[in-house]
Amino acid sequence: MASDAVLTAPAGPRLQDYPVDVAAGDLYHNASPDLAAHWQTMADGLVTMASEAGMAVHELVSRQIADLGMSFRIAGDADERDWPLTAMPLLIGADEWAEVERGLIQRARLLEAVAADLYGPQRLVAEGHVPASLVTGSRYFARNMVGLAPRGGHYIHVYAVDLARGPRGQWRVLSDRLRLANGIGYALENRLALSRGTGSLLSDIHTRRLAYFFTELRGGIARDCQRENPRIALLTPGRFNQSYPEQAHLARYLGFPLVEGRDLSVSDERLYVRTIAGPKRIDAIWRWIDTNALDPLNFDARSAIGVPDLFDAWARGGLEMANRPGVELLEAPAFSAFLPRLCSVLLGETPLLPNVATWWCGQPREADTVRKRFEELVITPAFGQRVEALEGIGPVPAASLGPEQRAALAEAMARRPMDYCGQEIVHLPTTPALIDECFVPRAFTLRAFVARDTAGNWTVMPGGFARLSASDEIQTTLMGAGDWTADVCIVDSAHRAPPGPLPLSELPSVRRGGGFLASQAADNLFWFGRYVERTEATVRVIRAILGSAIEVDAAAGSNPEVRAVLLDLLVRWSAITKETAALPAPQACRAALAEVTLPGGVGSLLAALRATGLTLRDRFAPDFWRIASRPLPPLDSHRPGALLRGARELLERMSALAGLLNENFVRGPSWRFLDLGRRIERGLALCATTGALVREADNAWSDNGEALSLLLDLCDSQITYRSRYLTSAQRNLVLDLLLLDPDNPRSLAFQLEALVAHIDALPRLSEDLLPELPLREARALLAPLTSLTVEKFAPEHLAAAENGLLSLSSAISERYFLQYEKADAPGSESLLG
Amino acid sequence: MKYTIRHVTTVKYASPVSLARFNVRLKPAPWPGQVLHHYALTIDPQPWTIQEEYGPWIVNRSRLFVRDPLTQLTIESKMHIEVQMPAVTDVTAPSPSVADIRKQALIHRDLSAMGPASYLFASPMALKSRTIAEWARPMLDPERSILSAGNALMHAIFTQFKYDSDATDADTPPAKSFAKKRGVCQDFAHVMIVAARAHGLPAAYVSGYLRTLPPPGKPRLIGADATHAWVVLWCGDALGWIGFDPTNDCLAKTDHIYTAMGRDYADVAPIDGVFRGGGGQTMAVSVDVAPEEEAALSAS
Repeated sequence: MASDAVLTAPAGPRLQDYPVDVAAGDLYHNASPDLAAHWQTMADGLVTMASEAGMAVHELVSRQIADLGMSFRIAGDADERDWPLTAMPLLIGADEWAEVERGLIQRARLLEAVAADLYGPQRLVAEGHVPASLVTGSRYFARNMVGLAPRGGHYIHVYAVDLARGPRGQWRVLSDRLRLANGIGYALENRLALSRGTGSLLSDIHTRRLAYFFTELRGGIARDCQRENPRIALLTPGRFNQSYPEQAHLARYLGFPLVEGRDLSVSDERLYVRTIAGPKRIDAIWRWIDTNALDPLNFDARSAIGVPDLFDAWARGGLEMANRPGVELLEAPAFSAFLPRLCSVLLGETPLLPNVATWWCGQPREADTVRKRFEELVITPAFGQRVEALEGIGPVPAASLGPEQRAALAEAMARRPMDYCGQEIVHLPTTPALIDECFVPRAFTLRAFVARDTAGNWTVMPGGFARLSASDEIQTTLMGAGDWTADVCIVDSAHRAPPGPLPLSELPSVRRGGGFLASQAADNLFWFGRYVERTEATVRVIRAILGSAIEVDAAAGSNPEVRAVLLDLLVRWSAITKETAALPAPQACRAALAEVTLPGGVGSLLAALRATGLTLRDRFAPDFWRIASRPLPPLDSHRPGALLRGARELLERMSALAGLLNENFVRGPSWRFLDLGRRIERGLALCATTGALVREADNAWSDNGEALSLLLDLCDSQITYRSRYLTSAQRNLVLDLLLLDPDNPRSLAFQLEALVAHIDALPRLSEDLLPELPLREARALLAPLTSLTVEKFAPEHLAAAENGLLSLSSAISERYFLQYEKADAPGSESLLG
Repeated sequence: MKYTIRHVTTVKYASPVSLARFNVRLKPAPWPGQVLHHYALTIDPQPWTIQEEYGPWIVNRSRLFVRDPLTQLTIESKMHIEVQMPAVTDVTAPSPSVADIRKQALIHRDLSAMGPASYLFASPMALKSRTIAEWARPMLDPERSILSAGNALMHAIFTQFKYDSDATDADTPPAKSFAKKRGVCQDFAHVMIVAARAHGLPAAYVSGYLRTLPPPGKPRLIGADATHAWVVLWCGDALGWIGFDPTNDCLAKTDHIYTAMGRDYADVAPIDGVFRGGGGQTMAVSVDVAPEEEAALSAS
């Protein structure tokens, strides 16, 4: 194949070889000559850049994807997948896009007007323009929102819409999305990955930038808030949500704190986030939670992710919600059947952007039409919820149904016609996708995003999220298995000056620190630190046992008694069971490393580390996240050597994490909580190992040189000791170095000094500035270590330190973290008739 | 008929709960033919705040916020209420056909909580069930009158289901109690609602009371010693909502006192809420529904 290539052109996929199949239109083949030239520039540019860098074209973006930490989950999957971004973007000419923009803005205005009517005077229902059942059919119709006008004046802030393009550039709306604008963060990430991977290529073809859109979106929410410099939070359902990675990315990009329901509380109709410095008021929420789950006391009582009485905050307390609860009802497919007519009723305009022809069977005439034209339509649930006789909530081509399915559908549609819509079949156009180093046609839909800007007007993201599929069936989820995504570039014919820098007054002023720290996040940071350190301590013990099994003359406990002490320690830490500890040492070690059921097993600790890390994703750099989420090294052998290598690799990982923590984390409260966790855990491990190895049964220190040397090993202080003393391990010398020497970062004294310093630097709740309980406890723990000499330091002091650290950990939890409300169900009146 | 009703609910918690917020839905909402003469809600301990609200369904809600820790909460609801004989007391009375009701409900312009449109679709606890739909089909012939069809459904539940308070709990989905053919008033009402809605008929859930002691010579009604639940079917603009009690196989007349109406139990649950702490909880309910003549007699 290479021999056929023209010598001057770089080897690689060529857009000229792209097969022509224009039945439903192709974005590249239908492009004007000017735009086609841009496609060429882009395609050639990608190939040239890749060949100059000596990599495949796909690697240009895949490296950026890894760096950005982009991933996603398919519903039902437990694990996240790599983000399938193809390098070739979709190019759309600015002229064509201008038409789309006008259409989208008109539709956004229309939806706003419909929402304002249905939650206000309800003239549309009273005058018969929409039947009441069209409104009540959606489970998102929030009856208790009727008559509560938003103080900021707007029902809708962010609106997403799926579009399909016809062969001659006429675009059509496939569906409206007011509940979740998912894809909006992925659109941004696609652009970041592509622009970072392709140098100046995007600006060479005059691609419009996305950043202004996000600035405007933020400004649009801020302008409707009741206070200047409002605090806007992104409310997430939590880390198990499918689009959590996207939400975390958006929150970080926009500078919105990412909060869960349990971080929040309502008091006197105001919303507060619980922070380590007490409650802080929230002015606005960009919600990624359904209306029905927002408030267990005012909507669905079973919601575990909502905030009790949140309703009061937006209904009367002036909390701005993007979008206003209840507006989701307008995204029902049944509603789109009415929108063209409502456009003339409410706006006095004809629709600029048609939607897919839709017939709602809740009306006799429309139901008739659907029955007659059954074969040529798709049937779709009218309100986005599962209905009888149809699988899923997406459109199903009627012609594809077998005789039994047809009969079942006909019967169900006769009983409950209002649950169904008929829609015309849309053939999706294709676009050149760069897959496996080849340009191949892929059917695409485009999700566009509309938001209110800083002036309250509508603005359209110049770009969007493209989903590329092998089939041209319309999907309802953002991404499915086997799909690809691509960036969408709106291309100007000539270079166009950006809208200009932001006006000076709106530039953020210089700031330091990381804003507030939510209690929940502080809790997670604290535990993340603890897990890192606990993993390290456990692996160190395992390494010591394994080392003793290999090196005959090792300082590391070749003495079977000492080894038994270490195995016993693993049992105490719940890394293995007593029975396992009786096995040959390498087997017991392998079990401790692989253990995922016992809480102290290394496998369990890594899982906990990863799970806690997920909640902190918006705070961690991708490097950090990558290391934290790496799985266990392979443990396929019982040979001590191989296991030892695994243990060493784990230790290196933990050191890498610790290094990143120290070097890259801003020294604010977040870092302090991470480090608090590490220091407490390290202190506890020190007490446990020291106690196990050098405390005698009669509560005196032992003089076992081997045990002392092993202790130095476990505490990574062997080198320090050797450089300081020319003698073998002596009890008082070792104990002073490991317990009392405040300059040894592995000593107990060092941990406690750090604890005191951290807690002292944290915010205090009361204004009298008296030390709070955690600080007093930490200081009390430090006192004996700074006032006693090693001769006076008895095993009782060690035991007291260990108990004190546990008590300090509880004091920190109680003071800084949450005890959140638990929903209960006292409604189970057992004596109900 | 005039009644004196006293309803006492006592909730005990195994360990103290704090910052408790409750919704209490015990005060009867306005209902055609019913007049509330006197009402008093007493809460012990006294909540930090009480907010009285109406809606979003046909329901009164008292929102309680108990700030201080509590291990026991007592809610006493007392009222004098008058119930008039409804216009429809007989299922053979003339009424629109099932087909008519289905058609009218779809095109109706009333979006309020009394309108039929709100009770046409599946709701959080009254989820669709194809099995129930199939079961109901023979009783809901399009030509049949709505009263007769409703009566058939009600009678079928009464005869085919066994009253069994151990078979289900407050969260049991209708399909499950249907499969067991067992349950209490709440389950029977949910099954009837699901059946009616499956065929495009507006059906709502009603919570309320039954008179405790029957008139002389009549049997004691089932469910009289607790809060009761039944179903109302929308029977067209002229007749409005008509009450069917599948637990007792009768229309709601003057023995039934309406407290609230919603899409299902969750909309009108007598009490729900959130709090911190807790552990286990136990609940005791006592209900006394006495005709006022009787109350006067026993007082003398």
